[in-house]
Amino acid sequence: MSEIKLVFTGSLGAGKTTAISTISEIPVINTDVATTDKAAQRKEMTTVALDYGELSLDETQKLKLYGTPGQERFEYMWPILIKGALGLIILVDHASADPLSDLALFVRYFKPYIEETATVIGVTRTDLGVEHNMQAYHDYLQKQDLQLPVFTIDARNREHVIIMIQALTAMVEFA
Amino acid sequence: MLAKLIQPKVTPLLERLLRDCDDIHAALVVTVDGNMCAMQQKKNYTLERLASMGSSLMSLGDTITAELKMGACNNIISENEQGIIAFMHINDKLVLISITTHKNALGMLLSHSRICAQNMAQEVGDL
Repeated sequence: MSEIKLVFTGSLGAGKTTAISTISEIPVINTDVATTDKAAQRKEMTTVALDYGELSLDETQKLKLYGTPGQERFEYMWPILIKGALGLIILVDHASADPLSDLALFVRYFKPYIEETATVIGVTRTDLGVEHNMQAYHDYLQKQDLQLPVFTIDARNREHVIIMIQALTAMVEFA
Repeated sequence: MLAKLIQPKVTPLLERLLRDCDDIHAALVVTVDGNMCAMQQKKNYTLERLASMGSSLMSLGDTITAELKMGACNNIISENEQGIIAFMHINDKLVLISITTHKNALGMLLSHSRICAQNMAQEVGDL
């Protein structure tokens, strides 16, 4: 059986742990702890090392799903987790104060990987009454000379996450 | 923020830890989500990033211990060419990290640190 390593990254509260939990067929290994600082206003728990889940695509292919911590003080985990990954998913919390800056942080950090690795963007929490302007994400990526698929997803919705993953694995296969 | 509330309560205990045990060269208290509460040292380490790294490691220790159904994770010990680092829970919100540059000081490091962690747990109570 071939194994493909995918990494979910993105800002605090973007839905990385939720997305992996939604599609994993094994109990997700996570390192969530109580949030003790101002981030507690947004989330009770936060990931401090990694999430890990698995998903079999068919009898011959298994996805190993890793999630990074979202807070920048844990950035030392990002290069550890991206090592050997064939695909990267950047999740963006559309309801955050400045989702484009959130995206920019992760695009800037992972740019060397994005240029060599299949990458998709997943925009989450678009149901929270914030104006739906996906064009801003496309415009930002274009300015960065990046052509990446942008999906609007609900991280709790298995079908949404699977469609995004299928697009990514197709990119991996044809890369 | 929890870290600010904790700082005055644990700083005297960290000072005492370094005073009572010659082998301990630095010690810090961090929250489980990687915020620095307090630190004391006899050397000149850069310890800020150790707060978040310590919380990652402690959480991985808890996760591995739970996977193997071994109860609570008491300590994580990193034995290195030039010293030893011990990570241990004070309670479910705080972690004590202590450092020695003496390779043969593991016993002293663990015993003094454990007593210090227990005293800190009493001092901070349910905060």
